[in-house]
Amino acid sequence: MSSGKPLSLNRRHLLGLMAAGATLPLSTRFAQAATPFTFQASWINDAEFAGYFAAIDKGYYAAEGLELTYLSGGPDVIPESSLIAGKADLTLTTPDTTIKAIVEQQAPFKIIGTQYQKNPIGIVSLASNPIRTPQDLVGKTLAVPPVNVISVEAMLKISGVDRAAVNIVPYAYDPTPLIKGEIDASLDFTTNVPFTIQQAGAEATSFLLYDFGFTIFNDTVVVTTDTLAAKRKEIVSFLRASKKGWEENLQDPAAYPPSFAETWFKGTGRSIENEIYFNTAQKPLIEAEGGIFSMSEAAIAANIEALAAVGIAATRDMFDTTVFEEI
Amino acid sequence: MPSRLRPFVGPLLILVLWEIAGRFGLVASGALPAPSAILARLAVDWSDYPGHIFATLFGAGLGFLIGNGIAIAAGVLFALYPVTSRVARGLNVALFALPPIAISPILVLTFSDPVPRVVLAAIGCYFVTMTATLVGLTQADARSVDVVRAYGGGRFKVLALVQARIALPVILSGLRIAAPNAVLGSILAEFGGGGRWGLGVYLLGSLGRGEPDRLWGIGLVATLIAGLAYLAFVVLARAVTGSSQAVTVPTSVLRSTDRPRPAWQQGLIVLASIALPLALWWALLAVLKVPAMLAKTPPALYDYLFGLPGSPATQAKLVAALAQTLPMTLLGMVAGLAIAFVLALGTQLTPRLIRALLPVALVTQTMPLVALTPLLVLLVGRGPAVILWVTISVTFFPAFVTMAQGLLLVPRAALELPRAYGATVWQQLRLVSVPASLPYLFAATRLTAPRALLGVMIAEWLATGTGLGNLLNQSRGYLDYGMIWAVAVLSVLVSVAFYQAVVLVERRVLGRLGMAVAE
Repeated sequence: MSSGKPLSLNRRHLLGLMAAGATLPLSTRFAQAATPFTFQASWINDAEFAGYFAAIDKGYYAAEGLELTYLSGGPDVIPESSLIAGKADLTLTTPDTTIKAIVEQQAPFKIIGTQYQKNPIGIVSLASNPIRTPQDLVGKTLAVPPVNVISVEAMLKISGVDRAAVNIVPYAYDPTPLIKGEIDASLDFTTNVPFTIQQAGAEATSFLLYDFGFTIFNDTVVVTTDTLAAKRKEIVSFLRASKKGWEENLQDPAAYPPSFAETWFKGTGRSIENEIYFNTAQKPLIEAEGGIFSMSEAAIAANIEALAAVGIAATRDMFDTTVFEEI
Repeated sequence: MPSRLRPFVGPLLILVLWEIAGRFGLVASGALPAPSAILARLAVDWSDYPGHIFATLFGAGLGFLIGNGIAIAAGVLFALYPVTSRVARGLNVALFALPPIAISPILVLTFSDPVPRVVLAAIGCYFVTMTATLVGLTQADARSVDVVRAYGGGRFKVLALVQARIALPVILSGLRIAAPNAVLGSILAEFGGGGRWGLGVYLLGSLGRGEPDRLWGIGLVATLIAGLAYLAFVVLARAVTGSSQAVTVPTSVLRSTDRPRPAWQQGLIVLASIALPLALWWALLAVLKVPAMLAKTPPALYDYLFGLPGSPATQAKLVAALAQTLPMTLLGMVAGLAIAFVLALGTQLTPRLIRALLPVALVTQTMPLVALTPLLVLLVGRGPAVILWVTISVTFFPAFVTMAQGLLLVPRAALELPRAYGATVWQQLRLVSVPASLPYLFAATRLTAPRALLGVMIAEWLATGTGLGNLLNQSRGYLDYGMIWAVAVLSVLVSVAFYQAVVLVERRVLGRLGMAVAE
C-alpha cells in the first residue's frame, strides 16, 4: 500500500503490454498465462536500474511470459536476504559479499551474470585537491561506506600503499563533506557523484578501484540454487528480457531517463539530468564483448584473483555461465 | 510592546540570526542553509511531497492504531490483574528502552514493507499509552468504586462505570505523545526499509545530492507532521474532556499494586518476566517461519556467540565495540542531563531566554538525525565530540521538559520560607528547588538512558565508524546475520541495564529521603 508497487506496476505492465502489442503478432500477446517472478533491486530507483525499467515499460518481460514484480532496494536492504527469505527470485549483489556468504555461511547462491563488467566504485575527489592514484591517498582522509572498507584495503594492498597512512572514516552517501573539504576523497559510484559535485559548483576527479587491481564485477545477478533448479526457464527469460531492455536503454543513454520522470523516478529527489549523466557514465562499464550480463572466463579469473587479495576464497563453480548461454 | 507579542520576539530573533548565518555561510562553511532558502527549496520540491507524506502517514497511522490498541488492552489487563504487569515488566522495559536503530535491520530482515514501519510506529506508541491507561485506571476515586461494589457490581462493572471514565482524559493525553512518536518511528523504519515512498525514503534519495536545504526541508515537514499529530490530540482531548490536562512523558513502569506474595512466587514472577520477551522472540520467528540463516532464535544466537569456531572472534569484536560505545553513552548521558539541568534552572532565573530557545530545541528533537549529523560533522569534526553532540541533542530536550516541570511543581510556601529569611535565588535553588525536584531528576535520567545509547549508535554509524553503531552497519554489508542479531540484542540489554540501574539508585535515594517516584 505505502509503496504502491504492485498496483502501479500492473498499470505500467498493462501500458507495456499495449505498447508491445503494436510490435508483436496478436497470437503471442496472450498466448501463455504470465508466471509471477520477483526481482529485488540493490538500491533506490535510479539510473542503475534503467535497463529493467525500460524492459518493463516496453513489455519485454510480459512478452517472455513473466509477470514481474520489481522491489526497490535501499541501504538497509540486503539483496541476498530477500532471496533467502523467499521474498524475491533474483537479485543484484556485490560479488564480494555474496561469495563471502557462500564460503562462510554455506549460503546457496549462484552468480549467473553481471550487470557491471567493471565495478563503478571508485575514489572521488575535488579537482582542486585531486587524488588520481592510490599513492595520492597517503596522509589524506577518505570516507568509505563501512561495507566497502575491505575493497579499499585490498586496492591499497595491491597498490603497495600502507593502510595506516590513510585515514578512513565512514561515508553516508552524502557528498557535502567532500564538497566542503572536510574530507579529501570518498568512495562512491563514479557514475553518479561527480555530477552532484558539478552541481555544487566544483569539479570532480575520480578513478576506479578496478583500474588499480581490484578487478571485480558489480551488481552480479544472483539466484539461489533451489530457484535455479525450479525456475530455470523463467530465469533465462528474465535475463533475455533484461538484456534487451539494457541494449535498448544504452543505445542513447539520454533517451529513457526522461520517460521515467513521472513513474520510476517520481519522488526520488534526484534530477533527470543526474540520471542521464549516470546512464551515460555507466555505459562503458556495462557493455561487454560477449553481450550484456555475460561473464568471460578471463573476467571470472580476475574476480577470483582480486577477491583472494582480500582473503575471500572464490572458486570458479560459484559462477554459472550456462544460464546466459541459453538466452 | 504589547505583552501578547512578547513570546514571539525570541523565536523571531533566532530566525533572523539563522537567516543571516545561512545567507552569509557563517556556519559549517555554508552547510547550514538559511530558513528562506529551505522554504524556497520546499516550494520547488513540493510536487514530490504528497506521495511521501501519504506513505508516512499510512505507516504511522496503522502503527498508531495497532500500537495503541495493544497498549490500551495491556493497560486494562494490568489494572484488572496486577500480577500480569509484574510478569510483563521485562517486556515493557525492553519495549521502552530498545534503540530503534538496532532493531530496524532485524525487522527489515524478518518482514516485508510496510510491516517494519508499522511495527516501529506501534512500538513508539505502546509504552506511553499503556502507562497512561494504567495510571488512569488505577487513580479512580475509592468512594465511587465502593458505590458500584455496594450495589453488587463486580470488577468489570467498576472498570466500565468508574475507572474507564476517569481514565479517558489520561489516555488521551498519552495518545497526544504517542502520535508524534508514531510518525518518527515510521520515518526511521522507512529510512532503512527499502520502500518506494515515505519521507524517510525521500530523505535517503536526497542524501546523495549534497543539498542541505532539501534535507532541512524534509526534516521540517517531518517536524510539522509530528507537531500536527500532537496538536490534533490536544484539540481532541479538549473537546472530549472540556479541559486540558498536563501529563509528562511517562518514564517508569508503574510499580504494581499486586498483593504481597511468598518468596518462591516472587522468584517465579521475576523469572517469568525475564523469560517472556525471549519466549515471544522465539515464538514469533517460529510462527513466521523465517529461514534460520536470517533470523536467529535465542538458542541459535547463543550458538553463534559461544558454540561456533568463530565465536571467540565474534565475542572479541562485540567486546571491543562495547568498550567504545559504553563510555560515550555514559558521558553523553551525563552531558545531556547537565545541560538540561542548567537550562531547567535557567527557567527559574530568566524564563524569557528559555522560551526563546525552546522552539529550536523542539526542532532538534524531530529533525531526523541523519540530516543533522552531517551538519554536526562539518561543525565539530569526526572525533568523540560529534558523538557527544548528537547524544546531547537527543537527550537534553525530554530531560529538560521533565526537570523544568519538577522545578515548577515545587510548592510556593517552601520557596517563601528561605526568601523571607533573605536567601538569594541561588540559595533558594540549592536549599529547596533542587532537592524537591529530585524525583523528576531521576525520571529524566530514566528517560535519557536509552536515548543516549540511540544517539551514540547513530553518530558511530554515520560519522565516526566506531563502536556498536559501526559494527551493526558493517555486519549488514557482510551478510553477518548472527552479528546483526547479536548487536541488536546486546544494545537492548545495555539499554535495559542502564534503565534498571537508574531505577535501583532512584529507589534507594528517594526511599532514604522519603520521597515518591515521579512517573
